[in-house]
Amino acid sequence: MTHSQDNLNLFQNLCLELRRGSLILAVLACLRSEQYGYTLRKALGDRGLDIEEGTLYPLLRRLETQGLLLSEWREAEKRNKRFYRLSPLGEEILAKLLAEWKAIDASLTEIVKG
Amino acid sequence: MPPLDRYLSNLAKLLPADQREDILRELSEDIRSEFEDKESELGRPLTEAEQLAVLKRRGNPLQVAAGYTPNQGTLAFGPQIIGPVLFPFYVRVLTFNLGLTFLIVGAIFAAVSLAGQPIHFGDLFSSIILQLFIQLTAVTVIFALVEKHLSRQPHDWSKEDFEKNLKAAIHSRIQKNIQTGPKEVSRFDSMAVLIASSVALLWMQSIWTNQYLIFGPAALLIALAPIWHVVYLPTVFIMLVTIFRAGVNIARPDWVRFRDVVSVVIDAASLAIVYTLMFAHTWVVPADAAASTSQHVASVVNQWAPLAISASAVIALAQAIKNLIRLYKNWRWHPSSQQPSH
Repeated sequence: MTHSQDNLNLFQNLCLELRRGSLILAVLACLRSEQYGYTLRKALGDRGLDIEEGTLYPLLRRLETQGLLLSEWREAEKRNKRFYRLSPLGEEILAKLLAEWKAIDASLTEIVKG
Repeated sequence: MPPLDRYLSNLAKLLPADQREDILRELSEDIRSEFEDKESELGRPLTEAEQLAVLKRRGNPLQVAAGYTPNQGTLAFGPQIIGPVLFPFYVRVLTFNLGLTFLIVGAIFAAVSLAGQPIHFGDLFSSIILQLFIQLTAVTVIFALVEKHLSRQPHDWSKEDFEKNLKAAIHSRIQKNIQTGPKEVSRFDSMAVLIASSVALLWMQSIWTNQYLIFGPAALLIALAPIWHVVYLPTVFIMLVTIFRAGVNIARPDWVRFRDVVSVVIDAASLAIVYTLMFAHTWVVPADAAASTSQHVASVVNQWAPLAISASAVIALAQAIKNLIRLYKNWRWHPSSQQPSH
């Protein structure tokens, strides 16, 4: 493997780590209004946060297991779809996470400015 | 079978059984939505090649299933050799095979030691390392091949008719009493049994040509008695039936009764073999009939062997009773079985 390939892999791994936490926040924030998986993925993608299905659906399941999301199967557009929305616990946690995110953002901005 | 159905049915084999239907419904819905979006962009139905391109982008079923599987580890030397879906079964098979082998090697060395022969740490160590190497290599290679096979792109996947099987499984799950009815046979358990039995069969074959594999350095002193030749073919037959049973249940996990009946038959045959062994009186013979050391070691091993065989008999009997109870319970749950008679 070449040196530039190594660097690219390293960068991609770091990007993945950086995105992982942000994606949870983005998903929780998007689900303040009820959505099903496909529209959620499109909504995230339209705002510049592309997420693979293989990442999104297991994440939704995990968040639901943790009690942060509620889901139900319902008919929409003539087909059964699974709709997700934030649970009361999810709303509470999201508010705390957003506050944390803003604090991190402010600190980072200060650090990067030097 | 359309590419989507083939993709989903192959994925179904790899998903955790308790979430399978739910995950499949959701993924199916998601993929159909993507198909519809693309169709409305193009103003025409997608061709099979275009559908395959969508599925290929989503990743092969093994990768997708890995996302839903609790990560219990992977095996990788650079590229990943065994992924998170197969890894727990790899560990289970390896542990079972190594445990059994070390038990046998340990018993042989203990017997040799009881016979008053000096045990050199180097001999014991080299025997253990050799067994470790053989088992590790065989099991890893088999699992790596399975992983490679399962990791092929969706369009290269087996074209077997899993759709019917999947629909039947979903139907039976929804319609029947899910809480108390018998669970379908885990495909990965069957795969683990198939691989463990295959490795055991290969190991048994190797023993005949090289008894060092079972006796270690004591192979210079003792050899297997003729009774093992008597039970060899029936044992091979039992292993082949076990492999066949596991193979069938990989393709048809809903054939629970088939598993139950065949297991009971295998248990009965195993008990017959253990019974034959119990009354053999001689299990090892001196490798060199003229050497007194060989005779002494063989006599000590023969003195202790009934204990080991009795323990095997107890385990085999317990297993048989457990499987018989399982057969009885499952039979009662399906008084008018929907399964084909096998």
